[in-house]
Amino acid sequence: MFGLYQTAFGVLTWGNILMLLIGGLLIYLGVARKMEPVLLVPIGIGVLMVNLPFAGLMIYTPEGLPVEAGTVSELIRAIGDGKIGLLNVLYTYGIKSEVIPLLIFLGVGAMTDFTPTIARPISFIFGAVAQLGVFIVFIIAYCSGIFSPHEAACVGIIGGSDGPPTVYLTAALAPRLLGPITLVAYSYMALVPILQPPIIKLLTSKKERAIYMKPQVRDVSRLEVVLFPIIIFLVAALLVPKSTPLVGMFMFGNLLRASGVTDRLAQSAGGVFIDVLTFLLGLTVGALMPAVVFLRPETLAIIGLAIVAFAFSTAGGLLSAKFINLFLKEKVNPMIGAAGVSAIPMSARVVQKMGQEANPRNFLLMHAMGPNMAGAIATSVVAGIFLGMLG
Amino acid sequence: MIDWNLLAKIAGGGFGVTIFVLVVISLIAWIMGLVLQKVAAGGKENSDKG
Repeated sequence: MFGLYQTAFGVLTWGNILMLLIGGLLIYLGVARKMEPVLLVPIGIGVLMVNLPFAGLMIYTPEGLPVEAGTVSELIRAIGDGKIGLLNVLYTYGIKSEVIPLLIFLGVGAMTDFTPTIARPISFIFGAVAQLGVFIVFIIAYCSGIFSPHEAACVGIIGGSDGPPTVYLTAALAPRLLGPITLVAYSYMALVPILQPPIIKLLTSKKERAIYMKPQVRDVSRLEVVLFPIIIFLVAALLVPKSTPLVGMFMFGNLLRASGVTDRLAQSAGGVFIDVLTFLLGLTVGALMPAVVFLRPETLAIIGLAIVAFAFSTAGGLLSAKFINLFLKEKVNPMIGAAGVSAIPMSARVVQKMGQEANPRNFLLMHAMGPNMAGAIATSVVAGIFLGMLG
Repeated sequence: MIDWNLLAKIAGGGFGVTIFVLVVISLIAWIMGLVLQKVAAGGKENSDKG
């Protein structure tokens, strides 16, 4: 009987066992600690699926890259022959083709309210300077000799703290690192409440953190809200053409919401639609982490560099707000600049909490949402710039 | 071997372009707000007179 029937125990490596533990840890963090559960749970399941020998859900080439599905007829034959797994199909048509990250961004746009950014356009400057960490880490990663320029750009963009642009850029420039980079990016986004406060405290005095901001900047008309996504799309597409897919989908999703005439579409795009796509993204990203690919020195380097990227991006946004305060009659609380690192809405919540600790009268959430949204646009622009220069 | 030219182009140029694009967007959003607020205020004044 045992000659005909083969269990997986004999070929299970220590690397597989370690990855199964990591997969279990991700599921635990998602379920018990509620850390990005929509993403960490499917990633954890994906890690389990790909690290069980003979499961056949994701087949790899000897170079450690997922086998890609070819034409439909080849695909059907390959699945039948067991040369390709279900997750290879999701990888090829969902991630490698960049369809899933772009559609997720459409959903994010449909959930985004740009009113605070429109009311205070200076938020865009905070969002732009908060990309500092992306470029600093690009330099460090490239100079380390561990990463090629393409890979260094993908490691750097983790500092933008925005999932879809990170996945989009990495799928295009460094698909080999898609698993670790996506995992690290989303894990650190969940850790923003722990990572940001010490940096903010280091760079601001209590007096600065207590600066009071009026609850509302100004009323924003419906026409502005409708025109905004169209104008941003046109400007970004003309100045950075390679950012068009990202900014275009983001702004299209937002137009569905802002127009006021496609409410059902906007609700769908920001509801079940984005949930299903995020789940598929998580599952596929998890499956990009077999032991032979994930347990490499590069992964540790990515984990370390991502913290540096977050720190510099937070510092960049915050210091830009302090600098602009030198010229403003009515000062802004410099902490809102730190929300330029995106991580919607986590970093804005951090600013709100710290603001209230310093001055209980302060309600900074909506003020911080402005740079937060601007940061998302800025990261998309940065992705487009990297693609234009390296793609 | 590190290509310093590429490094400077991407890190310096890339960050510079990012700032430039976002400043342009910021200016456009500011001007759009200014114009639309003026138009709305003008429209309100006319309807009050009428």
